[in-house]
This record gives sequence, structure tokens and C-alpha cells, in this order.
Amino acid sequence: MDGLRAELLSKSETDDGSHADFYAAALQTVDAALDYADRYCEFAKTNAPKTLYRALCRVPHEPPESFYEACVFLQFIIFTLRCNRNTHLGLGRFDQYMLPFWRSDLKKGLPEETLFETLEEFFISLNFDTDIYQGMQLGDNGQSLMLGGYDLDGQDRYNELSEAVMNASLELRLIDPKINLRVCSKTPAERFILATRMTKQGLGFPQYSNDDVVIPGLIRLGYAPEDAADYTVAACWEFSIPGKGAEIVNIDQMVFPKVVRRELFDHLEACDSFDELLEYVKLGVAFDAGEIVGKRSGHHYPASPYLSVFIEGCVQSGKDVSEYGAKYNNFGAHGVGIANAADSLAAVREVIYERREYPKKTLLQALAANFEGYGELRNRLLSCPKMGSDDDRTDGIARILLETWANALNGKPNGAGGIFRAGTGSAHEYYYSARNVGATPDGRKSGEMYGSGFSPSLTGKPTGPLSCIRSFTKYDMTRLVNGGPLSMELHDSVFRDEEGIEKVAQLVMAFIRLGGHQLQLNSVNRDVLLDAREHPEAHRDLIVRVWGWSGYFVELDKQYQEHIIRRTEFQV
Amino acid sequence: MTAALIFSFEEFALHDGPGMRVTVFLKGCPLRCEWCHNPEGQRFENEIIKSQAGCENCGACLKAGGGRLNEKSVRACPNRLLRMSGESYTPEHLLERLRGVLPILNDAGGGVTFSGGEPLAHPDFLYECLALLEGRTHRAVQTSGYCEEEPFRHVLDQTDFFLYDLKLLDPALHKRYTGADNTPILRNFRILCDSGKPFITRIPLIPGVTDTEQNLTDIARFLCDNGVKNAELLPYNRLAGSKYASVGRRYAPGFDETVISQARTDIFRSFGVEPKVLWGDHVD
Ligand code: SF4
Repeated sequence: MDGLRAELLSKSETDDGSHADFYAAALQTVDAALDYADRYCEFAKTNAPKTLYRALCRVPHEPPESFYEACVFLQFIIFTLRCNRNTHLGLGRFDQYMLPFWRSDLKKGLPEETLFETLEEFFISLNFDTDIYQGMQLGDNGQSLMLGGYDLDGQDRYNELSEAVMNASLELRLIDPKINLRVCSKTPAERFILATRMTKQGLGFPQYSNDDVVIPGLIRLGYAPEDAADYTVAACWEFSIPGKGAEIVNIDQMVFPKVVRRELFDHLEACDSFDELLEYVKLGVAFDAGEIVGKRSGHHYPASPYLSVFIEGCVQSGKDVSEYGAKYNNFGAHGVGIANAADSLAAVREVIYERREYPKKTLLQALAANFEGYGELRNRLLSCPKMGSDDDRTDGIARILLETWANALNGKPNGAGGIFRAGTGSAHEYYYSARNVGATPDGRKSGEMYGSGFSPSLTGKPTGPLSCIRSFTKYDMTRLVNGGPLSMELHDSVFRDEEGIEKVAQLVMAFIRLGGHQLQLNSVNRDVLLDAREHPEAHRDLIVRVWGWSGYFVELDKQYQEHIIRRTEFQV
Repeated sequence: MTAALIFSFEEFALHDGPGMRVTVFLKGCPLRCEWCHNPEGQRFENEIIKSQAGCENCGACLKAGGGRLNEKSVRACPNRLLRMSGESYTPEHLLERLRGVLPILNDAGGGVTFSGGEPLAHPDFLYECLALLEGRTHRAVQTSGYCEEEPFRHVLDQTDFFLYDLKLLDPALHKRYTGADNTPILRNFRILCDSGKPFITRIPLIPGVTDTEQNLTDIARFLCDNGVKNAELLPYNRLAGSKYASVGRRYAPGFDETVISQARTDIFRSFGVEPKVLWGDHVD
């Protein structure tokens, strides 16, 4: 950081004065951080192991020279950024930027076990004091890291450190860091098998992302190809470029079921054909996307000089990230509840238009009455084919909605020197935005939660994991690289022998081959979850995936526990 | 056109043949094994399945069904507790249902398995399905082997792999615990062995019934006589009775459920048969 400080000084001296504020502020924050580091070092002299003290005598002033120092340095940066209220910053491509230290230590003759212990200690340290991070729930702290990945020429960047990280995570069984794994159709089966062992732990990771889809998708959005190939996840699942983006990846959301419901009430009775109705829904989706663009364009966030010094472009240009000094300043928004929306329209098509089993008015009355007194109609709607059962017609509606959403949002200027990008995540919106949306024709009652991210609804009848991955890979996912995974729950018994693990790995490989963009699997046992809800004291260490992160089940608010339990109805 | 009732699809079945499979469960079985864990697969007629928890005794189901539970009741239950156990499929309709996932199964070295119930109790339907899937995927049949010789040979021609159950070799005991004569089962088993088709023999270990020294010795000898080199042993699952209430029946096995299955792998090995004990509680 001394080098960084020197750069800031020389920049401010040669600057014509128009960026004086930024340089002054940046210097102030860097000095404060270094000051803090010095006090910490002083304290460590008498209160910490010698190795830590020695490391603190060098870093963060000097560049780290060993893997251990690099870990201390990294922890320092993470901590000071948190203190600076920069939350949800992922750890990026840890196995790439830490690799030189790992290798040079090995070359110097350090035993691999020692390095591995350091790695594990670092991971353990990420689990301390996580309550100081601002998140929706305990565990939602954005400490995700990305492993592997392919260069533009197809070269595989998965290395011995990636493997060590996988093994450390397997051994530690801790919720942090959350592991993401970049894969593609050429990724060897063994890697999926190792990753499936991790899934077996029940922590809900790794989360897979598909380079065959994400890299071309980012290039389509205008990212430089070499940057696209360097992508990571921001914190949960949104793809971003480490060190080059100051992107707000979750600035807003378009709630598909809300649009469907609105358009039904406005236009169902006047529409003579389903296609006509669908046109209105498309207009509605485009309208809501337009609202997001209008409302969020030029969005400003508070100046953050300390964060800026770590982002390429800011120091050079003298502009804070809040002044869009970074190379990429895009805004992402998610389309929430796609399955509920597609299911709703499929049910309207079948029951109202094709078979004419109920008058339009009755449907609207039933929705308005939250199905109170319309149980039969609701049962009928629930029996229609749902997204996730590999029904081409229902999935076809989803395709139209997703295309409309992507077309309406992707590439629109955001007034911040960047563009908007469309995604399929939901985060807590599967709960929040569902609260105010009345009953929908998929049979969902008012306020009932949507499926999580890019996943089947909680209302449909489960079909099975194969149909599910088929249903969720029929779209051009390169248009939806703001991210948002398909989540599936598999019963923990599936993982009990090697054969089962191999087959789960094959399932993941099939998803990747079919062109899915992101996948997250959970090993769960419904009975255990139910018991944990009743007897939390006996399940203090039960870890579950919530959305882009994992947490302790017993520490979650009721509605999230409920969602996780409902999701398990779809497990095999 | 033939049709049959299918009462369940298991996507991602892990123990029903090689690789990743979809298992199709055909409804109806001529046997009544006391330990059957799939009572909804036994009857050939469609029936109502009622979830046990949540019924408010509101009576809407009976009212809609005119005093009985039927398809109308299914729609009427406000709590969605009722469903029809089986759905009727033609072979073409079934192929449609499976078409999308076949490439996934094939890439993962798997295929489709027909189970039940007893799939051979629907020989024409089964044959047509297998013929339709020929060249599209790997086809397996899981069977008790109970059927006439003629349809068995017919189906054999169109099947790539069998999972064949052997329960009790003693004819009287077989009759007593499964309700059926085991002569056709043993005959078909020999036909299967002679055909050269790959298969795996499965032996359910029912405490005090099939896991006796006598029976396991008889089976091991029978396998040995027919040149069979391996077998899978399935320990009794104490959840076997859990679905009976939902089809309005009571599970009343004539053996002591609480006794743990004996696998007695030593007996099989002494006959040159390599046993593999599948997952479940057992003692050696
Ligand atoms: S309709 Fe449903 S809740 Fe009412 S009595 Fe019948 S099964 Fe029970």
C-alpha cells in the first residue's frame, strides 16, 4: 500500500487540481488504513504469534512475499473495506491472484501441508466477526470466491490452489467462504465429482457457472473479451469483473407475476385469444423494464474513495467510483418469479382459452377472492403443466417472457456511463415482492412466495431433476448474465455412496452441456429441517443455502425457514 | 392401441440399473408380497390416494363424488389431499414424456427402467414401449418374473437388462408370503440365464422369511446351478408400511418387522456368488 500511496501522491501533484478532492480523500483513507495497520502491528507485538507479528511488520505497507503474508494482507483489505461499509464484496478469483504466492512458497521449500494449514486458518478467520457485516440475515455477507475458469483460448485455469481450496472447504465445513466454480462443457468429470462431494456436505455450494454461456454473454453486453473471461461473482451470483467494475448488480427487480396479474385484470376480458393476452403481458414486461431504466438511471451512491483505490481506472482518472471512475459501471436488475408467471399464463391458456372450462370472469373473481370459495378452480389450475416439468408449451411462454425482459433491459444506457443488464436472480425478493402480489392463476395464493432465483415455483407438482434441468435450459441464457441460478434440492440419501455422487456429477454436467448459466444444488433432508424448526436447540450446526449464500438454519427468520422447507417438496 | 396406468416416474433413479435412469412404475401386480412397500402399485384399477395429514373432515370430497371418493372428489378437496394414483399412458404418450430427457440419460450411461407393480403384467404395453425405445436408449425391466413363458420371451427380445427378484425357493412358502406360485418365476429365470442377456438378481432380505439360512442357501445354490455369479441383497426397509394408510389399507405383515435382516454373504460366497448388500440395516 506504500506504493499505492506514492502513486496517489504523484498523481495529485501532477493533477491540474480538478481531481484534488478525490486524491485528498483517497490519501486520507489510505493513511487511516495504514495507521490502523501500524496500531494493529504494535498490538500484535505482544499479543499475537510471532509469525503474525512478523507479517504485519511488512504488510500492508509492503507487497506480500509469502502465501501467509498474502492471506494477512487480504484479510486486512477485507476488514478495512467492511469498516468502510463496502458490503457484499466477493473475494474474486482467489485461486488466480494467490497462486504466485502459493507456488513460490513451494519452490522455496515450504511443505504443502503448512501452506494448506495457512489456507484453512484464513478460511476460518473469514468466519469470525461476520455479524459486523451488513446483510439481510446472518451469513449474507458476500464472502464468495471463484475457482477455475477458462481463458479465451480455452486454457483451463483450474490449478493446484483451486484444488487445495476445494479440499479445505470440504474439510472445514464452514459457511465462509462460499465456493463458486467456473466450468464448461470441457471440464473433466473428476472435478464435478470433487465438487459433488462438497455439495454432499449440505452447505449448498459450490455454485457452478458456465463459461460457455457467461463469457459470450458478457461480451454481448459490451465487456472486453479478456475482461469477460476474467469474470467472477460479485457476492451471490451476479457476474462481474474483479477490480474493474463498480457495478450495482442488484439495483432493482421486475416481478413477472405482478405484471401477469395486472395485465390479466386489465385485459383478459377483452382478449379473444391467448396470443392477444400474451401481447399485453409482453408490453407489460417491457413497460416495467422501462420503469426501472427511468427510475434508476444516473443512480448515485455515496462517494467511496477507499474502495476506489482498489478499482482499476479510479486512481488513474482521479475519479471516485461514485463518479463512475471504474471501467465498468453497469446496473443489473433481476426478473423475479419467472416460473410462477409462465405457469400462470400456461394455466390461463389451457383452462380459459383452449378448453374453455371456466369463464374469464370467474377466474378474475377467484383471483380477487384469493381463491376463497374457488377451491375447485384452484385445483384445476394447479394441475396444469408447470415450468420444471419439461413441458415445451409452458417453457415456451417462459422463453417469450425472458426474451422480452432481456430485450427491454440489456444495453439500455444507465446514465452512469454504463448500461443495464438483465438477470434471473431473486435474492430475498421471492419473499418480499411476493407479499404484495395477490393470487395468481398458477394457483398461488396471495402473498405466497415465489421459487428462488431461476427455479420452479413452490406451487407446482414436482416432476424430477432431469425434467427440471431441461425446463431451465431452453433459453438463450447469454442474454441473462446478470445471473441467478437454478436451485435444486436433492435428498441427502442420493449422496451416500460413490455411485450416487458420480450420478449427481453427471447431472451437473448435463446442465452445463445443455447451456444452463448457473446451478446450485442442495443436499437436504426434509425431516431434519422440520425437526430443526421445532427443536432448534438440537440443530445449531445445520447449514442451509438461503439464496446466494448459506447460513445456519436455526438463525434464519421464519419466512426463510419456511421457503427452504417448501423447496424440499421437490427433492428426489 | 394399448395403454397402462403409470403410478410414478422416478427421475434420477440410482439403483435401477446401470447409469442414471428414469424408472417408470406400472400399476398392477399379480403378487401380494407381505412386505410390499408400494401398495399403490398392486391393484390394476385406478384408486384414490389420500394424504393423511391435514384433513378437516369437511366432506367436500364425498359430496362431489356422490357419497364415494372418485375423480370428482380429487378436484373438490380444498386442501388438495387427494389424487388419483395412476395416470393412463399409451406407449407414444410415454415416449413423448421421456423424449427430452433421453439424451441426458444416454450421455450418463443410463436409460429407462420399467418397474411396478409388475411390468410383465402388462406384456403388450411393455413390449410396445420397449420397441419404441429401441435404438433410443438403454432399456431395463425390473420384475418378479411372474408371467407366462410366451410374453416373457417376447419382452426378453426387446430388453437390454433385467433386474430380477428372487424371493423364496420353497413353493409353499412362496405361495404363502406372496400369494403366487413360484414355478413360472423359476422357469423364466432359467430362460433369462440361457438367453445370455445381462441381468442382476435381487433378493429382498425379509426378516425370518427370506433371510433364513435355508432359503438363502436354496437361492445361492439355484444361482450357482444356473451359472449366475453375483446378486444384490436388499435389507428390509422398516418404512415399508408407510404408504398403506394413504390407499386406505392396513399394513399387517406376518413377520417381525423389528428384527434386523441377515445378509449372510458367506452362504453366497460358498456357492461362488458374489453378493452386494444394498443400503439398509442388516447384520452379516
Ligand atoms: S375434501 Fe379434503 S379435507 Fe375435506 S374431508 Fe375430503 S379429504 Fe378431508
